[in-house]
This record gives sequence, C-alpha cells and structure tokens, in this order.
Amino acid sequence: MKKSLTVRDIVIAGVLGAVAILLGVTRLGYIPVPTAAGNATIMHIPAIIGGIMQGPVVGLIVGAIFGISSFLNATVPLFKDPLVAILPRLFIGVAAWLVYVGLRRKNEYFAVCASAFIGTLTNTVLVLTMAVVRHYLTPAVAWTVGITNGIPEAIVGTIVTLAVVLAWKQIGKNKKSKISEDM
Amino acid sequence: MSSEFEISRSITIGQYVPTDSYIHRLDPRVKLLLFVVIVVAIAFNTSYIGNAIGLFLSLYLFWASKIPISYGLSGVKPAIPFIIILALLQLLFQGQLFSGGKVYVDYGFILITSESIRLVVVSAVRFIEIIFLSSVLTLSTSTTQLTHSIQSLLSPLKKINFPVHEISLITTISIRFVPTFAIEMEKMMKAQASRGADFGTGGWWRIIQRTKETFPIIIPLFNIALSRAEDLILAMESRCYTPGGNRSSYSVYKTLAKDYLVLLVGLLFAYLLIFYPFPF
Repeated sequence: MKKSLTVRDIVIAGVLGAVAILLGVTRLGYIPVPTAAGNATIMHIPAIIGGIMQGPVVGLIVGAIFGISSFLNATVPLFKDPLVAILPRLFIGVAAWLVYVGLRRKNEYFAVCASAFIGTLTNTVLVLTMAVVRHYLTPAVAWTVGITNGIPEAIVGTIVTLAVVLAWKQIGKNKKSKISEDM
Repeated sequence: MSSEFEISRSITIGQYVPTDSYIHRLDPRVKLLLFVVIVVAIAFNTSYIGNAIGLFLSLYLFWASKIPISYGLSGVKPAIPFIIILALLQLLFQGQLFSGGKVYVDYGFILITSESIRLVVVSAVRFIEIIFLSSVLTLSTSTTQLTHSIQSLLSPLKKINFPVHEISLITTISIRFVPTFAIEMEKMMKAQASRGADFGTGGWWRIIQRTKETFPIIIPLFNIALSRAEDLILAMESRCYTPGGNRSSYSVYKTLAKDYLVLLVGLLFAYLLIFYPFPF
C-alpha cells in the first residue's frame, strides 16, 4: 500500500463514494432486467472511474464504500451477506486500474473502454461466484443471471465510463489545484 | 408527478431516532464492533435454534433501544417478494447440493430434503435478522458517531501504515456529499424534464429506453461531482491540509464499565453462535 494518500486521492475517493451511495439509495443505479437477480446495476461505475483516475487504492476504497452501502440498503437476501455484498466489490477498481495501466500506452480511449468492461465483468463474475459458493444460487441460475445482467451492465458501464472520463480529461486540463501533482 | 423529482427527501442515510435509550448511550465503538461480530456470527450459523436466538436478540435490541419496530419492518417489507422467489428457487433447485437428511420429494430434477428446507428457512430468517440489526445500529447511532468509531476502531492499523485517518475522512466526505448531490440531481432532472426529457414513463420491459433515460442524469452527475471535488481539493490545500498528520478530536469517547460488560456479553454470544453445536 502507498505510504500515504494525497489530498486529491482522499477527496476523489470520498466524492465518488458519495455518487455510489446516491445511485444506490435513489434506485437510479438499477437497470430493471427481468431475471432472478431482479436488477442489473451501474453502481460499480464510480469504483471503475476511481481506479482509472487515481489508481488502485482509490478504486479499492470506492469499491468498499459501494459494497458497504449495497450491504446496508439491500432488499435482496443475497446482498445481506457481507461475503457477497462487500468482498467482491473491493476488486472492481483494482482490476479496472490494472487493465487501464496495461493498455494506456497503446490507445487511451481503448484502454478506458477495456478497463470499464473488465471492471464490470469483475463485479458480475465475483459476485455470482460468491453467490454460488454461499448457496444462494445454483450454478445454472448464476450463468443465466451472468449473461442477462452482465452484458447490459458491461455495455452501459463502458458507455458511461468513457463519457465521464473523456469529460474529465477536458476538465482536468485546467485543474484548479497545482499542488497535488507535485506531492 | 412531482414526487419523482423529490429525491433529497427520500434519502434515509443517518436516519437517527433520538430516544436516549440504554442502547443509544452505549459507546458507539462497542456498538459497531459488536454489530460486525454478530453479523458475521449469524452468517456462519446454519442451525434453526441458533437463528431463532439471533431473531430473538434482534427483536430484543429494538425493544431495548425504544425504537418502534415499524422502522425495522419497513426495511423487511419491500424484500418479502424477493425472499419468497429466492426461497422457491432454492427449494426447487438446490436439493442436489444438499442431499443429506430425509428426502421428502424426489421428482425428476426436483429433490426436496430436510437439508434443503433448512437452507431455505435459515437464509430467510438470517436476512431478517441482519436487516433488524443494521436498522438498530443506524437508528441509534448518528453518522458522526459512526465515522468517529470507525476511525478509533481502525487506529491500531496505523502501526502498519494503514491510512486510518484518511479512510475516516473519505467516509465523512462521502456521507456529507450524498444530500448535496441529491439536490444537484433533482435540479438536473427538472432541467432535463423542462427540455422535454421524460423519466420513468416507459414500461419496465423497455429496458433500452429506460437505460437511455438515465444517461442525461448520470453523466452530468459525475461531472458535477468531479468539479466539486476540484473545489474541495483547492480549499483543503489552501488551508494546508496534510494527509497523515497527527490530529486530536473534538469529541472523545469514554468506554465505561457497562460498555465493557455489553462487549463481553456480545462476544460470548457471537462465540456461541459460531462454535456451539446446536442440536437442531
């Protein structure tokens, strides 16, 4: 772990965490999909954006905030289990960051898209794996949920992340604070 | 129609109910620690008796904290259809995995055994217990108390360079900004609607349309969030905030004898739930 977080890391993680909580409590973060799991989600997007913008630690923290808020707000028994709700979410931002850093040299846009896609898949796959391990779903049901929820989630996740990160690069050109970069 | 835009009102984070009961006056650190330990204990327990005890405990805590039980039930109510669907799915398709115990129904791929019934009942009850416990925690503890206690509970981790203070600051920022962003979001929804965008008018089966409707809200929401973050970064740096510095706190919690007693009882309880071999 890094020795200490910068002011920028702290604030961005906090703000993205707030967005994750807000998407959860207003139900705006749910895409209604008629499957056993009920809803596809886009609440993991802040974690991906955190990972892309500020690195794995911020991604992990935003993921943890998302996990805890989804655990506290859950109306489905599946997500009232901390092992399903919190643990898998820690890896979303980290995976997104790994993909982004790996591909950034080649093409910025492609790297953002790929890391959003992989970040979403990390969420879907790990949550469903934990759901099967904890006996909430059978492997067959998990596969159907994975396909019917995972694909729309991945597409929406990629579009939103790309739009936000590109807009951010524009804002980022005239960042107000110049100190963070030096620290 | 107007209710669709009243987002900031429907947010119930930090829904603190001040009844000044015994539970309210407990050290928040003790409450948080016990909450985590007991939830984990309940998640591991698979016996009927163990979960009945857990359910009894969560009801007792509601009574002891003088919070009307309707607050807890309002969390359970929207979940009932999900509980039933999940129970049916588990009952019909999980029999193969839990083929132990007595076989009640064995018809084609449907296999209902005493073990699979146990799984269904226990996971439904466990869910209700966890809803009750987390409602008691959040209804009897203010968000300030919670973030302070997170910081204080994690403080031993400072030794291994774990950024405890930073984590608690992040939590505070998150909780502080949720209502602000809710207001911003309301404004944006009204602005978009006044330009002719419609929200929530399409049927639930029109997934693509419903998804597209959310884009003009979510993307500006992120941008507003990030530009507010820039302001906050500037404000903090101009006041010479340095992460990792030593800070003292305005409010200091004292753990009294009764807090230790409650902690002891709670830990013993969790220990029993995890390790005691319940006969049934």
